[in-house]
Amino acid sequence: MNKRKLGIGVVILLVLVSGLLYGYYGFLYKPVRNIEAEKSAFVMPAHRLAVEYTSDSGKADGNYLNQTIEIKGKITEVRDSLIILNDKIVCGFDAMPMNADVNKDITIKGRCIGFDELFGEVKLDQCTIKQ
Amino acid sequence: MNRYLEIMICIACLLLSAVIYGQKYSTRSGNLKFEASMPSFEEVAAENKTASAVLEPTKGDLAVLALMKGFRFKVALMEEHFNENYVESDKYPKATFTGKVEGLDVSKLTSEPKTYPISGDLTLHGKTKKITDNAKISKNGDKIVIVGTFTVKPAEFNIEIPKLVSGKISDKVEITYNLALAK
Repeated sequence: MNKRKLGIGVVILLVLVSGLLYGYYGFLYKPVRNIEAEKSAFVMPAHRLAVEYTSDSGKADGNYLNQTIEIKGKITEVRDSLIILNDKIVCGFDAMPMNADVNKDITIKGRCIGFDELFGEVKLDQCTIKQ
Repeated sequence: MNRYLEIMICIACLLLSAVIYGQKYSTRSGNLKFEASMPSFEEVAAENKTASAVLEPTKGDLAVLALMKGFRFKVALMEEHFNENYVESDKYPKATFTGKVEGLDVSKLTSEPKTYPISGDLTLHGKTKKITDNAKISKNGDKIVIVGTFTVKPAEFNIEIPKLVSGKISDKVEITYNLALAK
């Protein structure tokens, strides 16, 4: 009887310890965000995001910085690993899409990383095209 | 009247030459990496692929801007600590550099990298510090490529590294830049 109790105790302890370890390492080595799989916190037209940033970049940073955003706009430039929407939103891609042509209307999902004062543009990274 | 016309033509010529020769080189996808790893500990490194830079080719003025949120780590928790505890990217969302490439002559650049000194002000975490570095500059097709590495100390930018992790993070942070600027 005592042996059985001890056995159950050991099993419970093992489960607890492994659970704790799993939780600890899961927390420590949690993988980085997958923006494509995340639900968008904001869905809006590209020009509205641009207007909000150009009128008050501090306030816009408070709302959008580090958030997953979906924006709809017209491609005005394609360069290196970037697609520029409405001349004002620069979208960085980890994998550049093939079917990005200038003048096309498109919806892009990405993470807002802030306002670039050198160019006067809003920047997004880890972008993907939403079909 | 003739005099007036002469002056007008002169101004027009000057403006035109400024447009033709003063054309700037720029990029919005510059690459910045930083590394603060300690031997035998986990890698402390991040990369930003969306840095902006503008080079004024005649005077050699160089401006670089990196959005702090654009630095990406392999481990989520490290990225979180970097943003929240070290650089406080909500409060200080960008790092900037404004400086000068000494003795730059764009017409003499070739595909073979040449060394040029760059010096200027680096602003990060609300603090500005003068830095100098020897950059390798070359011409690749129609692009001017500027690469180099320099080190900074977090303490110089009021970035405090807690004692608990100070053994795992180097107090010399190595920053590598690679900017391919096009007209």
